[in-house]
Amino acid sequence: MKSEKVVERTEINYKEQLERDVLAAMAKPNRWYWVALGFSATCFLIGLISWGYQIKIGMGTAGLNNPVGWGVYITDFVFWVGIAHSGTLISAVLFLFRAKFRSSFNRTAEAMTVIAVMTAGLFPLIHLGRVWFFYWLFPYPNQRLLWVNFRSPLIWDVFAVSTYLTVSAVFFYVGMIPDLAIVRRLTTGIRKKIYGILSLGWQGSLSEWMHYNRLYLFLAAFATPLVISVHSVVSWDFAMSVIPGWHTTIFAPYFVAGAIFSGTAMVVTLVIPMRKIFSLEKYITLDHFESLAKLLLLTSLIVTYSYIVELGIAFYSGNVFETAIFKYRMMGDYKILYWIMISCNSLIPLLVFFRKVRRSLPSLLIISLLANVGMWFERFILIVTSLAKDFDPYAWGLYKPSIIEAGITLGSFGMFFTFFLIFTKVLPVLSMTELKEEHE
Amino acid sequence: MKQQYLFEDKAEFLSKLQELKDKGISRKAVTILIPYPLHEVEDIWHPAPSPLRVFTLFGALAGLLTGFAFTIYTAKDWPLITGGKPIVSIPPFIIISFALTILFGALVSFAGFLILTKLPNIRAMMEPEEYGNQFAILINNEE
Amino acid sequence: MKRRDFLKLMGLASSSTVLSACGVDKKAEKLIPYLVPPEDDTIPGVPVYYNTTCTECPANCGISVKVREELPVKLEGLSGHPINDGSLCIRGQASLTRLYHPDRIRSPLRRNTQGQFKPISWSDAYDQMMQTLGQGGQHLYLAGRTTGTLSELIDGFCDERNIERLPEFESYSYAAIKEANRLLFNQSVIPHYRIEDADFMLTLGADILETFVSPVSHATQLARAKKLGQFLWYHAEPHVSLTGLQATERLVIQPGSETHLLRFLLRYLLEHVDYARRLPDAVARAIPNVSGEEVSAQTGIPSEELNQLARQFAEAEKPLLIAGGISTGHTSGLEVAALAGLIQWMMRMTDIVVDFSRAENDANVGTMLDMGELSQRLQEGNVGVLFISRANPMPNVPASYGFKENLRKARLRVGLSDFLDDTMQACDIVLPLSHTLESWGDTQSRKGLRTVIQPALEPIFDTRTEGDILLQLMQRRTGNTGVQTFREYLFTRWREKYGEDSIESLLHKGYFEDSPSGEFVRLSGTAAAELLTTASDPVDFGKPLLIAIPSLRTFDGRSRVLPLLSEIPDPLTTISYGDWVSVSEQDLRSNQWQDLDEIELTIPGGSIRLPVKTQPGLPGGISTIHWDMLKPLMLQVDPRTGESICYMDGVQMVSRGVSVPIPYLSGSSSQEGRGIIPDMERGDEDHDRGGPGMYPEHEHTDYRWAMVIDLESCIGCSACVAACYIENNVAVVGPEEHLKGREMSWIRMEPYYEEDGSAEFLPMMCQHCYNAPCEPVCPVYATYHNPEGLNAQVYNRCVGTRYCANNCPYKVRRFNWFKHERPGPSDEIQMANPDVSIRGKGIMEKCTFCIQRIRAARDTAKDESRKIQDGEVVPACAQSCPTQAITFGNIEDKRSRVYQLAHSFRAYRVFEHLGMEPGVYYLGKSEARSQKSEVDRGHQEDSN
Repeated sequence: MKSEKVVERTEINYKEQLERDVLAAMAKPNRWYWVALGFSATCFLIGLISWGYQIKIGMGTAGLNNPVGWGVYITDFVFWVGIAHSGTLISAVLFLFRAKFRSSFNRTAEAMTVIAVMTAGLFPLIHLGRVWFFYWLFPYPNQRLLWVNFRSPLIWDVFAVSTYLTVSAVFFYVGMIPDLAIVRRLTTGIRKKIYGILSLGWQGSLSEWMHYNRLYLFLAAFATPLVISVHSVVSWDFAMSVIPGWHTTIFAPYFVAGAIFSGTAMVVTLVIPMRKIFSLEKYITLDHFESLAKLLLLTSLIVTYSYIVELGIAFYSGNVFETAIFKYRMMGDYKILYWIMISCNSLIPLLVFFRKVRRSLPSLLIISLLANVGMWFERFILIVTSLAKDFDPYAWGLYKPSIIEAGITLGSFGMFFTFFLIFTKVLPVLSMTELKEEHE
Repeated sequence: MKQQYLFEDKAEFLSKLQELKDKGISRKAVTILIPYPLHEVEDIWHPAPSPLRVFTLFGALAGLLTGFAFTIYTAKDWPLITGGKPIVSIPPFIIISFALTILFGALVSFAGFLILTKLPNIRAMMEPEEYGNQFAILINNEE
Repeated sequence: MKRRDFLKLMGLASSSTVLSACGVDKKAEKLIPYLVPPEDDTIPGVPVYYNTTCTECPANCGISVKVREELPVKLEGLSGHPINDGSLCIRGQASLTRLYHPDRIRSPLRRNTQGQFKPISWSDAYDQMMQTLGQGGQHLYLAGRTTGTLSELIDGFCDERNIERLPEFESYSYAAIKEANRLLFNQSVIPHYRIEDADFMLTLGADILETFVSPVSHATQLARAKKLGQFLWYHAEPHVSLTGLQATERLVIQPGSETHLLRFLLRYLLEHVDYARRLPDAVARAIPNVSGEEVSAQTGIPSEELNQLARQFAEAEKPLLIAGGISTGHTSGLEVAALAGLIQWMMRMTDIVVDFSRAENDANVGTMLDMGELSQRLQEGNVGVLFISRANPMPNVPASYGFKENLRKARLRVGLSDFLDDTMQACDIVLPLSHTLESWGDTQSRKGLRTVIQPALEPIFDTRTEGDILLQLMQRRTGNTGVQTFREYLFTRWREKYGEDSIESLLHKGYFEDSPSGEFVRLSGTAAAELLTTASDPVDFGKPLLIAIPSLRTFDGRSRVLPLLSEIPDPLTTISYGDWVSVSEQDLRSNQWQDLDEIELTIPGGSIRLPVKTQPGLPGGISTIHWDMLKPLMLQVDPRTGESICYMDGVQMVSRGVSVPIPYLSGSSSQEGRGIIPDMERGDEDHDRGGPGMYPEHEHTDYRWAMVIDLESCIGCSACVAACYIENNVAVVGPEEHLKGREMSWIRMEPYYEEDGSAEFLPMMCQHCYNAPCEPVCPVYATYHNPEGLNAQVYNRCVGTRYCANNCPYKVRRFNWFKHERPGPSDEIQMANPDVSIRGKGIMEKCTFCIQRIRAARDTAKDESRKIQDGEVVPACAQSCPTQAITFGNIEDKRSRVYQLAHSFRAYRVFEHLGMEPGVYYLGKSEARSQKSEVDRGHQEDSN
């Protein structure tokens, strides 16, 4: 047996330090972690109880009515799908573009994607009048051999969202296999067994790497159009209708940009505290955040552009229904929410133009939190105002969310953070392999 | 003859590899284990390109075809008019087929990866050979 | 198994489904009796119809009761009936819910010493009454309006037991008109107004389409008159009423100034119409000479309009004038009625269109003055037993009469009613009356017309008819054991009148009509002259002024117990549940109120706290309130006639700074420029009808169902809405849900007001679009376009995404937010149409074009090996419509009425530019408007 001797101390230090740091994040949790997890799980439980109550009593426990048949639940759905978008964007698209700053975020972003899609996927079920028949939405023939209606955008949703969940999960998992092997090496006992199984017995042989690189490239190549398509499909839930304010061709790009905007904001929101808590400052640097901030700014500008186009077209068209709905959004019953949306999504992100702002973590955190608030309200405004005042003036009506809807929304955040906190403790939060490769 | 070379340093590892290659050692006899992908290895060793793309292409095409066949079949199986649209409405079916193309493509690629790499590797799951962050060259010249 | 056996079993299975559809396990036990056919030939699934009479209001329309499996499921107007000819109003439709109401009195009640009602047996109740009847004091019998054989029986009962029968109590007593007719013609009645025979009509204040005398009769006649051709209708009123909005020309008149207008017309007609000279000279001389300008100033009607009205009145061949309602509800109401009577006689209306030979049979109906007298007698303390039957005077009699307090002084108060209303609460013994659908009887609401009341089911509760109760009391005294029932009594009387042979046909037809007597009334010239000379000056009301108006939905408050009538919104304000005051836009603005702000409304006499709601078109300073929302403290009576005063001036309205959440269902009172009802004058006729579709046409081989709604005919009476609720088991959800915007109505009446205060009504239901936007968005095919062109909704397949409702531009789809409560008399008996499934929680529903009726017609046609004929399918809304505004049929058939109307020049569809090609066509109002503008033009030429 021969073995070549060590040359450079710094080299070893970086790799081992990285492994040590990441493993440290997976170590026995401290008190604050338990508090955070307990809080999130409680919120999650509140959501589950609210949902159970709604199923027992009926959809009427939500504030929905005629004409506003969709409200907070669909807002939440679009919101969470939007959050899910950046994960795959940062991972796959930036991978294809060979953007270096990706490596610091991609694991977190992918985990966020998978968890957010899981959360989002619940909302179409939550909003069903008869959720106990949710499986009727899946493409199988009923006892009279009736299939589903492929002309319905809701069926497109079923396909798009489940494909997105599956492909994202595969992408997330595949990207993690070499890291799982590292965790296997550095742990003992039952954990070693579990990570051994999870890593599929990865050894890092050249042939494994050859196939692995190909697979990762293809998955990234698949995931990229998927990102675009899924949120386009979600936007078509609205754009395929005849309702003023919904029926517009700009919706697909507008939604995709909005989704990336909100998703990036969510990554920033999650990574800033995570970096601090797990002391990962070395691997996730200010430069990385600056790159994310620029992405945030770019998408914010696209979103603003969409707002302007929407308004411009509505007023240019001279269509009484379109004009009325945009006037209503700006000056009607929900105008406060509209202006919150404009402030959070279009005005405040402009601060990122200042170098000082985009290199300051507290200001970035505030901007991204506000962007999340703004994007939630964007979806709410879009869904509710169009329904509240559509064609027939007699049928106009207002919508006020109920406590049950608030509970379920809270529950969705609880679910997201519960799962995310569990992720940070059981899976490596940084892509060690990629960081090592990048370090070369 | 079994030989094992372990390197902390990438450059030493690569020069050893070059040396082995120059010696004309049988590819089958050599197992290279690396902690992260190195393009230089490929430049030296020239391994055969991965045939994974065949799986990918097959999966994607299968998804595309399944998408169209399935939607058109079910629509015609019990034709119901909705919104005055034709029974076989191609534009919405494209969306379904697109989703299935990606779904099948991704899943079949993953399956192809497992087949090609012979993962999951039960033995390696239970008793893995760990080389840490070292580069390893294992030579197994039994015959 | 033979095919027939299989079908029999299937029938059994389906009947069991029907029974179990009522949702109670116990029902399943009822399946067994059908193995043995019931004795009365009830066939499961086959409806039986009984012809009887509606008693929800005194108009007494004829109805046909549809009975399924021994339970009435629907009331429909009796076709060919002299009063309503197949139509029924909103209250008549809803009266079925009275039968099944869970709060009906279920057995005789007696008040115990603690003042609580306890159930007692009938014989205990009789014994107690007999005992007190045997004691001293004057016994009195007060009833609501009673006609026919029951009235004879009450007379007999009162005679025998030495009971004094009091003038009947009706809160709408029409006292002023009756008094005027008594003075002028010596006939204290309301004549029958033959609107269909007129070509010009002027109505003063009378809400002829809502509650006035016989609203369904008026509405059906109005529709006929309009269809016959040139028909001009002027309506003058100080406020805004549903009736007024239907007139060709609505004149806003100063409150209380009708006398001025009538004097002017009297003078003008006398001078311009030849045959008007029949007026005796003495009378003619007594007519004051008034100038148009003067009257215009007094009435507030522009003089051009006044002159146009007078000219058209004079030129009309068969003019008709009706004064009543609020125009006679003030202290010069007698003058208004008398002047109107004089014009009626002078213009020869009394020969044809004002028919006294078919007058309302209401001579026994007293006035509020009689109630004052009764209160006086009660106070004197000499009253023994006081019977109060089918009347609820307590909330309607002025508090100043002290009726409520004095009522206690009667020794025994016996109430006969179906609900524990305010008056019954004050009784000692309450005897539950059977519903009309459980009773035998007859009515004679009009002279020469007898309508049959026959039961459609056994009494649900331990109730009796009034006739049976009286007969029992009579026979208990005589000790006659062979108890005669009211049915036997009734049949004896019928035999006496019509002979044995005609009874069968009487029961079958449901009514009997004499040939008219042909006698005309004669004017008492001296009385007329005296009236004119001694007439008191018209009242001049100060503002703000509160006007009490009748309610389309509750009549005088008697129909208030029926939840369905609160569920269906008031067509003017679209308020469903709760009380309110309608105020003008001007007052709302000047007082800086918001809709639904609670105000303290004080008038001399009392105060009341109610939310306000804007009524577009209401003149400033005038507010209106429905009669049944007033307190007795606020009521006043005209001492000359006994008519209730509708006008309350000196009103103080002070905002209390809070808002009262009562639901109003309309999102906007205006069309918001959306051309929902196109207006010719605005050029809406050229609205975008949408381009050719993108997709190939889908074919319908036999049928494609479509509907045409004539907005010119529609009067907004909402009878269609009530009919739909009952026919289709639509859930009544209550005020809380209405506040959240979750009403379940499949058809709704949308009022759209214009700037000038005029309004148009549009019934809106599922439009059954050819390219329906709701269909492709459903993921599970729960809604699709069926081969007969219907937009079908498959309840069982629906998962409740609500996307279809979102995507409906008409917002006519209704979602079941909960499992709706359907309170009924018992678990066994529920009101439900077994042909229509009851929708569960979480699914979407909507108008089906009454698919069950299409199905029934198709089955009949199939049995007879033919296609469904035009007019064979009539949906519930179309069936009930008093003006037959709704036509339904197969638009594939070019000879069908619906095809022809849909292709007439007035036809349009709502939101046609969306390219959905709705199956519901509306006939716009352009014809009337063009007619009117022609008249205007003609007038201009005249004046040039």
